[in-house]
Amino acid sequence: MRRFITTSLLAVIALPMLACYWADNHNYYLFSVYERTEFSNRMDEITRNNWKAYLGQNDDSYFFFRADDIIKAARKKGDALMVSYVQNLEKYLRCVAIEERKQREWNYPTKEEINACRKNLQAIRSYAAGKLKTRLRSQHALLYMRSNMMLGQHDTNINFWEQTASQYIETVYKDMMKNIYAGALYKTGQEAKAGELFAEMGDYNSLMTQYYKKRSFAAIRQEYLRDPNAKVLPFLLQDFVNNSQEAYDACQPHGEGEAFGGKLFIRDISQDEAKQMRNFCEQVVKERKTEVPALWKSAKAWLEYMFGSKERALKDIRTATTLSGTERIKDNARVLRLYIESALVPQSENYDNWLAQELEWLFSKQAENHYQNVLNRVTYQTLKKRYAESPERMAALFNATGTYEYETYIDTMKVERLEDYLQYTLRSPRTPLDRFLWTHQKKTEHALEDLIGTKYMRLCQWEKAIQWLKDIPTSYYEKKGYAVYAANRKYDVAPWIKRQWLRSAVLYSNHNGKLKSNPKLTFAREVQRMEGELNVLSGEELKKRYYELAIRYAQASYTGDCWFLMRDGKNVSDSVRVNETDLAAKAAELLRKADNSKDTRLKEEVLFAKAYIYMNPSPWYTLTWNSNTYEYDRHPAPQSAQYKAFASLVEYEKSINKPSGYVSKCDEYKQFLQAYNHR
Amino acid sequence: MILPLMIMKKITIWSGLFLCLLMTGCQRQEELEEGNAVYYWRTDFRLDSTERVFLNQYHIQKIYCRYFDVVMDTTQGRGPMPNATISFSDTLPRNIEIIPTIYIMEDCMHQSHQGLAEKLVRRIRQMNETNGIPNVREIQIDCDYTVRSRNIYYEFLREVKQAWSQQLSTTIRLHQLSMTPPPTDYGVLMIYNTGHPENYMERNPILDIRDVSPYLKHLNDYPLPLSTAYPVFSWLRIIRGVHVEHTVEAEEILKVKRAVEQRRDGLKRSIITYHLDKENIHRYKPEIYEEIYHH
Repeated sequence: MRRFITTSLLAVIALPMLACYWADNHNYYLFSVYERTEFSNRMDEITRNNWKAYLGQNDDSYFFFRADDIIKAARKKGDALMVSYVQNLEKYLRCVAIEERKQREWNYPTKEEINACRKNLQAIRSYAAGKLKTRLRSQHALLYMRSNMMLGQHDTNINFWEQTASQYIETVYKDMMKNIYAGALYKTGQEAKAGELFAEMGDYNSLMTQYYKKRSFAAIRQEYLRDPNAKVLPFLLQDFVNNSQEAYDACQPHGEGEAFGGKLFIRDISQDEAKQMRNFCEQVVKERKTEVPALWKSAKAWLEYMFGSKERALKDIRTATTLSGTERIKDNARVLRLYIESALVPQSENYDNWLAQELEWLFSKQAENHYQNVLNRVTYQTLKKRYAESPERMAALFNATGTYEYETYIDTMKVERLEDYLQYTLRSPRTPLDRFLWTHQKKTEHALEDLIGTKYMRLCQWEKAIQWLKDIPTSYYEKKGYAVYAANRKYDVAPWIKRQWLRSAVLYSNHNGKLKSNPKLTFAREVQRMEGELNVLSGEELKKRYYELAIRYAQASYTGDCWFLMRDGKNVSDSVRVNETDLAAKAAELLRKADNSKDTRLKEEVLFAKAYIYMNPSPWYTLTWNSNTYEYDRHPAPQSAQYKAFASLVEYEKSINKPSGYVSKCDEYKQFLQAYNHR
Repeated sequence: MILPLMIMKKITIWSGLFLCLLMTGCQRQEELEEGNAVYYWRTDFRLDSTERVFLNQYHIQKIYCRYFDVVMDTTQGRGPMPNATISFSDTLPRNIEIIPTIYIMEDCMHQSHQGLAEKLVRRIRQMNETNGIPNVREIQIDCDYTVRSRNIYYEFLREVKQAWSQQLSTTIRLHQLSMTPPPTDYGVLMIYNTGHPENYMERNPILDIRDVSPYLKHLNDYPLPLSTAYPVFSWLRIIRGVHVEHTVEAEEILKVKRAVEQRRDGLKRSIITYHLDKENIHRYKPEIYEEIYHH
């Protein structure tokens, strides 16, 4: 069947291949009454069980269909018919494999192989047609239809199903034949009939192929008027509601309008069309012609929530959970109720207890991807706001639900709150919600202690940092992604004189993250000692110490080479984060204190450091676009701090008449000098 | 008039130097033959009448046709595998050269894979034979290689060149201009996807001359012969409830073309548009296409 679907998809959707950018912003579809893989999963499972039973294997040793094993077993049983069936099935599968090879294998088939494949298919077809009166007639009939499908003989398949196979007893083979029949109807232009059959079978992929360009309120209404219980209606309604959600999400402040994984079939739905649909859903429930009012009422509630009155949405979804529908439709109503209640009802102990019960239910369904997405959206979009005032619960919730927000959340929260969260994870739970969260916490040894210690480092509270970091083994840091940087960079190297770039051979080797000690603890202890001695130093010694400390702060800042001391990762758009001291600013302040040294070497280094780009809020120039040269022009900005710092350096170099190599070789210095001399 | 010997000597020396300079200039960059081309980037080769007329109208001589992608097989750990192979549902236009183009995901080049080049070349040859595509003399490899993957990618290209033994080209993204050139016969300079999608409010992510200009300085010295590929595609997104279609203003394409050709005159010789599609054809007036393809 997969072959038919794949072939159909390829035939119908020849979309251009575009590289996409996407990011998770949590707005997954909530409305799901159709499981995307239901049909193929069901077929796979039953056929698998059938073969297992034939082989007499009741354990888990059976993995996938292997013709040789079945043939061996059949011969042992003296089952000649099964032997010939499996031999022909294997031949057929070889033809399928040739089609597969066209798509995704290195050995692309030859013309001869394709021709031989067609011949084989003809032979298999004749063989199967001759076995339709045997005890394995369903299997042979399926083989016959499969061969016809591959040969493009769709009319033959339609006639065969209608006159013969439809009378067969109910088996998985019959289901598969029916699917091929539906595909043949579709291929020969009988689309409405095909759609009903695909919907009845839960074949989402085929439905999407067929209805890709026919999804709208008007189409749903027309389908309902044709048959209020048309099987394609839940699929079309789900698609409409999800596309409406797409339009709604795009307007939300947290929606960001990004594309999502899984959202392949976006249709832009206007508010007016969504409101028409909402009203129509209400009408359908009132007309009582539908057998699944819970479906329409849930759709109405969700559309109402997005485009109408939130209060009415709450009332509607509560009603929807009491109406009749399939198990999936009822689960869908329950999901929507969880979201809407969590977004709207006031905080209370009753709500917390109800939430614990609903989350427990949702967790029990996490094997299916859809329910993982629901959990993600509910957590991020409703529960996050609800528990914003209770940081330890919020952190526990993020942890339990496995959303990546957890890392960001605990990384940015105040250190005292993180300590509270650590305690929360250690003490016995008091309420049903706490018990639920407590039992679902995922813990990594030393992670919270390391983060608390790091947070104290970010605040330059070295004593407290040392207390939290001192018992964390070096091996913990060797597992970190930044271990290679920690092992190969030194925080006492002046970043304005030497950048510690890592060669790619070092960066991408697996053997360069071996650490001698806990890097954070070593740093914290050293800075604490150096700062502790400031009171006893004076004169040139003191200035030198300020300079040495400035180097360490500059290195530990997000612009330094040793950024890993304060954070787990680094990217081009980094900045000073909340609850973090601006270490670069602190370094700049220390450089000011180190200024005017009598030691010429130190003085030159300090002046050079003060002109370093990361020690200044803006560059010594401004840029304007030149549309004649297609380049930016630099205009000196004498009021900027970096300009002044560079000017001081230039004047100093003039006075000593021999700049050090690191100054004279600096390209930025050279450019400044040129501009400065032409001012 | 008879010039004194010293002056004659001086003229001879200066003329010689000038000639030398001219010759050095010629040797440094061997430019490509003049011609127009398109990329074909769909999964089914099927041309409608508009597309066929376009090929004729703009004297398209080459179609860089995406045959398949090469992606890492993460589920079964089989290493780099072909994916999304093109089907040929239509006859190929006559008198147009087909250049099989293979897009390789950058992570395939994080480590070397023995025999990959041979497998790739063998598959291309087989696809040509099975689908009756004659006279293929060139292939192109497209990969967004970085400093991390460059060395392995270049080695891979050498192996492809050896296995293919005919013309080999590769795509060059702007950021790759500062690197050592790849070991191919020529490169196609991809002048699109120049901006970051996140900054769509400030810059057009498909093309903005301000994103191109920092790289212009590399053009003149880049030792490889180059074709240039310009974007004519659109990019759809829904942003804050608004259906946003990113397309490049024709004027922007032409402005970039002028800037590029000003830096390296030879870049007007071989022009490609990305990519052949009816909607893209209707996006710009014929005179714009005339301008883009102007040599």
